[in-house]
Amino acid sequence: MPKPKPRPKATVKLSPALSAIADSVIEAKLANGLRVRLLPNDAVPTCSYYTFFRVGARNERPGITGISHLFEHMMFNGAKKYGPGMFDKELESNGGSSNAYTSNDLTVYYEDFMAEALEKVVDLESDRMRSLAVTPKMLASERQVVIEERRLRVDNEISGMMDEELGSLVYKAHPYRWPVIGWMRDIENISREDCLEYFRTFYAPNNATIYVSGDFDPKQALALIKRAYGGLKAGPPAPPVLDAEPEQKGERRADVHYPAQAPSLMIAWRGPAGSHADTLVLDVVQYALSVGQSSRLHRRLVHDLELAVGVSVDWTWRFDPGTFTVGLELKPGGDPKQAEAALTAELERLAAEGLTARELEKAKNNLAATLTRELATNSGRAHALGTYELMLGDWRRGLALPSAYESITSEQVKEVVRRYLTPARRNVVTLVPQSSVEAAA
Amino acid sequence: MRRATTTKLRPLKLPPHERRQLGNGLQLHLVPRGPLPLVAVRLVMRGGSVWDPPGKAGVADFASRLFRRGAGGKSADELSEAIDFVGAALGGYANEENVVLSLSSPAKHLEAMLELMGLVLLQPDFPVAELESARRRTLAQLQNELDDPGSLAERAWARAMWGAHPYGHETLGQKRSIEALTRDDLVAFHRTRLSPALAHLYVVGDIDVDRVTTVAERVFGAWRGGPELAPLVPDWPGPKDAGHVVIVDKPEQTQVQVRVGAAGVKRGHVDHFPLVVMNAVLGGGFTSRLITEIRVKRGLSYGANSAFDMLSAAGTFLVTSFTKTKSVGTLLDVALGEVKKMRSRGPTPVEVETMKRYISGLYPARLETNEAVAGAIADVQHYGLPEDWISAYRDRVIAVTAKDAAAAAARHLFTDQRVIVLVGNARELSEVASRYGPVTVLKPADLE
Repeated sequence: MPKPKPRPKATVKLSPALSAIADSVIEAKLANGLRVRLLPNDAVPTCSYYTFFRVGARNERPGITGISHLFEHMMFNGAKKYGPGMFDKELESNGGSSNAYTSNDLTVYYEDFMAEALEKVVDLESDRMRSLAVTPKMLASERQVVIEERRLRVDNEISGMMDEELGSLVYKAHPYRWPVIGWMRDIENISREDCLEYFRTFYAPNNATIYVSGDFDPKQALALIKRAYGGLKAGPPAPPVLDAEPEQKGERRADVHYPAQAPSLMIAWRGPAGSHADTLVLDVVQYALSVGQSSRLHRRLVHDLELAVGVSVDWTWRFDPGTFTVGLELKPGGDPKQAEAALTAELERLAAEGLTARELEKAKNNLAATLTRELATNSGRAHALGTYELMLGDWRRGLALPSAYESITSEQVKEVVRRYLTPARRNVVTLVPQSSVEAAA
Repeated sequence: MRRATTTKLRPLKLPPHERRQLGNGLQLHLVPRGPLPLVAVRLVMRGGSVWDPPGKAGVADFASRLFRRGAGGKSADELSEAIDFVGAALGGYANEENVVLSLSSPAKHLEAMLELMGLVLLQPDFPVAELESARRRTLAQLQNELDDPGSLAERAWARAMWGAHPYGHETLGQKRSIEALTRDDLVAFHRTRLSPALAHLYVVGDIDVDRVTTVAERVFGAWRGGPELAPLVPDWPGPKDAGHVVIVDKPEQTQVQVRVGAAGVKRGHVDHFPLVVMNAVLGGGFTSRLITEIRVKRGLSYGANSAFDMLSAAGTFLVTSFTKTKSVGTLLDVALGEVKKMRSRGPTPVEVETMKRYISGLYPARLETNEAVAGAIADVQHYGLPEDWISAYRDRVIAVTAKDAAAAAARHLFTDQRVIVLVGNARELSEVASRYGPVTVLKPADLE
């Protein structure tokens, strides 16, 4: 993981709303390395409780791909104090609900609940971090659930199939090449021993960060957390992940043949790591290309040329260099070559001319508005600040993003487009429609 | 599990909700609410897809989406640029009962955005080039959706449930009517269906109430026309294909989307709260009976839930799940068995206490954003719910007894009047499907 940059200087000016949030944060670190961040706010009588573990598909190896996600499911299947099925029963009977997600880099658990239930939530979360039970019976049952989830999201879902194909096209060596949900045969074969070793390695308190946001007394909350988690032992640092990805030396292409009404395209480039300065410039590029009906790709490909009926750009920050992905949904009978050529022309124009001053300002306005909107709820604040801390090294850098975007210039936009979004570094997955009869044959 | 103890609920701290009315009848609902410098605006007009005329299904939604593609002499690009530049979002759409213009804006740009909202509402130009382009795009998207098993299930279900009832307009029959729509149809929709007398403007967020009133008067004050009285929605006799099974054939699928639908209740029904609690036990939360039996105990699926959808004139009940092809019979038996068990015996007192706590405890989190507050107030208005609907919601949930919930289950859960929809490989499914009733097999293209 690239080193985080130094914290922004105290002189970075935050808007009053962001400044109020920044001032409310209370930070603590337990002796066992567990990081705790408290965001008290009594606007509504509920709380959100997030636990971020610094582990995801990135920390897996061939043979046990998908274990991070399968393990996330197992975290709801019983520990020492609260046995199988008890986690959600206890939570719901105390006015709360829970969920979790796994990404390439992180595994994140969260609860929303009525404010009175904080003590119960701390008890539930610390119980499973301390003493998760992985029983053969629960593992066998949960494995089937995950297999159905894979059938839902990948095997019977066209964009899931294409995305999986794209991952192994962009990455040859890095663990980002396999899907977060894992290959089917790996999901079928992950053992109980694999799970136990995984738990010991990655679920130590020094690999976790807790964010609590909502209506609570921070002193009491910190005391509760210290009492519940203080006895957990720190583990050895998690093994580092080597980024052995070689430079891409030419365009890569793959087709997916599947019954479909229309062709579609996913076109991707390997970008910089989330904490790299170029990442913020690519955020601006993403917004200028795809956010709003006046954005470049919407105007050109959807409205002017009518080569696509839908355009999306995904640029998700990751610990190691992630992917900048353009998705093009075509019309039935549409021509993927034409659509791709029109996209290439737009990127060439961007590399040559950059953005107008107004486009630049528009992208910055929208990035700031998005950031403000995600801070509107307890869950949103805890999730946003937690993600910024894990990704950038400090939540303060997240709140300072609007001012960081402010300084980005059209010259920088041209530079990053020339550096990353080039034909030689391009990866293209094309959906080739097949009839149902061909597929069944 | 221990029984949850009852504690006094912390207050909701509802923001003030000020109501004003313009001379033309437009009602304003103004809710000043910080601390973030954001505002959510909803203009809700009773004139949704149920009132689309014969042969014009989809006209309300299609026209509303075109409002901002040219208005008052400004081109689509000019309007989009003005909206996007400040980080706002503005769009129109129709659902079953309403046409909605929705705006989300940074507080400092609210006035300018309200001006644009007025322009696209009152002076849409419906340029022919935009109309044709939108028609091509919409038809392509409708066709592309046939690749999505969930969308296919929804369309087949809507057809089997609603039949010819206009609540089916929103999801059905659009291809032919959209192919035939003319600019005159859009102009007629705009002239005859939208009216300030049947409209409510909700403005929630970082606002000055008097200032917004002044702006609203300036922007919407001259709006005239349209009906004075809300048209009625015809009664619904119940599911068209009750007792039947519909298979949508997607031979390449390894997983089957499963829907079981039946009649529910109208919004504001006297059994509302007992039903909400009972349904949470059956298929609402993550400890529901459906999740426990389908996912936790048998590993048949990743998801299973049940829900009541309540509209003004009718409502539906829907069980949703999915499983691998060879498990469909087991999944259906379990789901139908759980519904039957709930209907005959109701939930246990412990289950009822748990779900009351779950629903009431999390209710405040449903009112955290400006959009959510606007939506909640708009529902109270639209469905004619009691004025204290939001403030007393948690108390009403807590007042439900196990006996109430059991009685509601017995009254409203289906017996044999249900529709089953399966999306998957018809050849492999037809035998098991026939155990549940007469089977009809559709092709995806039948649902365009």
